[in-house]
Amino acid sequence: MAPVKPGLPRLYMVTDSRALSGGANELPGLVRRVASALPIAVQLREKHLNAAALCRLGAEVRNALPDNGSLLCINERTDVALVCGASGVHFPEASCPVGQAIAPTRGMIAGKSAHSPEAALSAESEGADYLFFGPVFETPSKKPFGKPRGLKELGEVCRRVRIPVYAIGGIVPATAQRCLEAGAYGIAAISAFIGNDDLPTILDNFQTVLSGA
Amino acid sequence: MIFPEKGTLCCITPEEGDPVLYSEQVLGGGADMIQLRRKHAPGRDLCRWSEEIQRLCRRHNALFIVNDRLDIALAVGADGVHLGQEDIPATEARALLESGKLLGISTSSVEEARRAENDGADYVGFGHIFPTGSKQKSGRPAGTGRLGEAVRSIRRPVLAIGGISDGTLGEVLEAGAWGIAVISAVSAAPDPALAARNLKQRIRAALR
Repeated sequence: MAPVKPGLPRLYMVTDSRALSGGANELPGLVRRVASALPIAVQLREKHLNAAALCRLGAEVRNALPDNGSLLCINERTDVALVCGASGVHFPEASCPVGQAIAPTRGMIAGKSAHSPEAALSAESEGADYLFFGPVFETPSKKPFGKPRGLKELGEVCRRVRIPVYAIGGIVPATAQRCLEAGAYGIAAISAFIGNDDLPTILDNFQTVLSGA
Repeated sequence: MIFPEKGTLCCITPEEGDPVLYSEQVLGGGADMIQLRRKHAPGRDLCRWSEEIQRLCRRHNALFIVNDRLDIALAVGADGVHLGQEDIPATEARALLESGKLLGISTSSVEEARRAENDGADYVGFGHIFPTGSKQKSGRPAGTGRLGEAVRSIRRPVLAIGGISDGTLGEVLEAGAWGIAVISAVSAAPDPALAARNLKQRIRAALR
């Protein structure tokens, strides 16, 4: 029997180890601290690393995840995901069609980023299991993806697709509640976890918001 | 996949321009293999190009290989993948490829070539043989002496790469290379189809 896909955590951490003072070496420890507080999905998204380094780091991050329903996804590279034993792959908007790209993994979770309602619908029809939609708010890390889409459009996307949607872009605990009210299944963030002196409080606050979801 | 007979001409796509159009030109000139190598292209483009180039290669009885992106090679069912020393480890790639698909590994020393063979490579790229502007290469050119040593050290076909031109082709084949892989020798020519045809003819002549 094929393994059952685990339920998707409500909190999704996207990595960028370049923003960490200790770089990639610091990442497994950070992931462990976050995932110990509450189950997370973590996406290894390290555009500056070659595939060999991604395979090594992916295995380390996977080993750092506690057995609490947390899971590892790899940005775009199904080959890296297969090598490091990840649970899924997250595709950028301009990727190979999801169904075609994920087929060689024989059953991994497939996510995809969408920066417009049209892209969200087409990602769903390509076979994505979940979506990222954003940037919802203003954020430096998502500047390349255009102006903020706002809560109204987030709500529209959540109504029009049947798969879970994570809101991304400028999400902090204070704004997470409004994204959930708009229909988001969960929250994805990069900056909220990085360079934050008070990680335990941030995680507590996320947990409070998400436990009501 | 059966590797082409001795005298293989592998054309690697340049970083600029339409790789489908380029492949069509050089296949018309007699290239035996196309390697799609576009380090910064989005997956969507790589996927679309791969499908079109694969189709062209079938029509010309040539092989289609994807550089670095094993994920794309698996998604489109390419004939194989070509990996460098910092890409997916060769043993892992071998395990992920269906049987019959080709694994090529870039090497720059005899030790790397031996390891590639042990790790399951079907063919080995060896270079750079001469100074070249195509790739930002560190280290000194390997020269045809070490190329010959690599050829004698392994049983797999060795494709020589790096700065090979009409003038140096004879020396490279004399060292025992199974064939050559080129970028700028063909892509920088005013007529890539003609450049490929000339190289292929000279390879044939040198092997007679």
